[in-house]
Amino acid sequence: MKLPTDLNKIWGFAVRSALVNRRNVFAVFEMFFWPGVAIFSVGLLTRFLQLDVATVTFILIGAVSMNTIQIAQLDLSYALLYSVWAKSLKHEFMAPIRLSHILLGSGLVGLVRGLLVFVLMGFLSTWLFDMELGRPGVAGLILFLLGIFLNAFIIGALVLALVLRFGQRAEVAAWAFSYLILLLCGLYYPVSVLPPGARQLAQLIPLTYFLDYFRHFYGFPLASAHPLLYGFLQSVIYIFISYALLYQTLKNALKRGTLLRLSE
Amino acid sequence: MQTAILAQGIVKSFRERLWGPLKPVLREVDLEVGAGAIFGILGPNGAGKTTFISILAGLLLPDAGQAQVLGLDVVRQATLLRERINLAASGAHFLWCLTAEENLRFYGRLYGLGGRTLAARIEELLELFDLTSHRRVTFERLSTGLKQRLGLAKALINTPELLFLDEPTTGLDPEMAQHLREEILRLNRQTGLTILLTTHNLREAEMLCGEVAFLKEGRLLARGGLAELQQRLRLGDRISLIFPDSPAPLDYGRLPGVLSFKVQPGRVDLRVDRAEVRLAPILEAIAQTQKPVAEVHLQEVDLEEIYREITH
Repeated sequence: MKLPTDLNKIWGFAVRSALVNRRNVFAVFEMFFWPGVAIFSVGLLTRFLQLDVATVTFILIGAVSMNTIQIAQLDLSYALLYSVWAKSLKHEFMAPIRLSHILLGSGLVGLVRGLLVFVLMGFLSTWLFDMELGRPGVAGLILFLLGIFLNAFIIGALVLALVLRFGQRAEVAAWAFSYLILLLCGLYYPVSVLPPGARQLAQLIPLTYFLDYFRHFYGFPLASAHPLLYGFLQSVIYIFISYALLYQTLKNALKRGTLLRLSE
Repeated sequence: MQTAILAQGIVKSFRERLWGPLKPVLREVDLEVGAGAIFGILGPNGAGKTTFISILAGLLLPDAGQAQVLGLDVVRQATLLRERINLAASGAHFLWCLTAEENLRFYGRLYGLGGRTLAARIEELLELFDLTSHRRVTFERLSTGLKQRLGLAKALINTPELLFLDEPTTGLDPEMAQHLREEILRLNRQTGLTILLTTHNLREAEMLCGEVAFLKEGRLLARGGLAELQQRLRLGDRISLIFPDSPAPLDYGRLPGVLSFKVQPGRVDLRVDRAEVRLAPILEAIAQTQKPVAEVHLQEVDLEEIYREITH
């Protein structure tokens, strides 16, 4: 492994992802429009329900997290979908690249876009609905964001595996998969309100612990004794699992001829 | 001569449906290609040409058999091998919203190139394939010919030692196809680049390939120089001469380039190696006998005829 060579490969995917986003009006739209709509609709709903500031903050943290994850994972999920749509998949895999180059390059752009969404939504929440985004302090914010991006990375890698297996049909999964996870992790409500089976499932999602950690800065009691420990530990385990799954899917694609079929 | 490609007993089957039966696409294919050669694999659609080339390029794993390209195992040393090879296929497809230059830069980076080295290589290739004035045009706006040229430029971005060309001129107008063929020949002669080419165009194979192999239904039927194979099989272009009365009294078998002939009342059918070269001297020889020719029909030899002859 030569570092400058690897960096060029990672940078190649990052620049491609950035260029596609820049030239696609809908990519800009999904970055600003939907997060804006989410903040306004959720914020105004809490105002109509006359909720106290603490509860409003609880819900807005969920809205900000959801949109940040959605945008951050999209760049990863789309990394191979772009190639499938362009029918150029075989040319990408003809090059001496590894999956880590795709994941890191596209993930880098997802991280930047996710960060922009987080800042935009945080600013709107603070300005319009009195949420104190800065209350957890720099360290709290960084740890929470790190957790959010690790979750986005896991979702994105799993969607990539689906794309390599099913091609364009997996596009729907890019959205559906993250919504399913977000539904279970207590985005707009405490996990304790979930039905018993779902509550146990929520314990298997790292985002549950990161939301728990972030919300405790706003006065909500911790549901778990060591949310960061569980959150990061689970994230690392899932990253390994999703990478292994993606690797195995690529090997199967090389056996089945999926790369060629998706390039026709 | 060093060996660039050595494939032994390559087998590959696919399922058409998830639980359907396995359909064999390649059946124990062996092939050896020397370094610096342009080798052609000829075959009709569905013969297994793309599957074979994809296995050699590391894009597909064989079910059985072994293959080495540039001395590297295509399965176990695929990543190392990919640094030294590249591929251009018919109907080049790249990301629609990137310009010609950006697409080249993207692929250049995937080969680990960057900075001035990559910039210089891009300039060189844009110039080589006459794409400089189209460098800022997005891929979706390029004409078919320009897309194909960009495909070839991309295939050379890493200065490969071996190039796979999968029906590189399909879909191009004759002039552009000819231009590309000349470019391929020039690259081979100037740089010693080994090229494995698939085509179903005999003329293309004739112009480019020192040696060819025929692939049909997953089996390699014959290999050798195209002229030598035609000679051996006595197959070539057909020239039919229609005479208003009896045919010209000539020993047709002794005319240059004639592989076989058949004389019938008022008609002579000749098989020649290259009709466009041989027709004029044949007509000249007939003119000397003072026998007028009413009609001349030309028909190029087609692959199916060669396959029929090889398989029987």
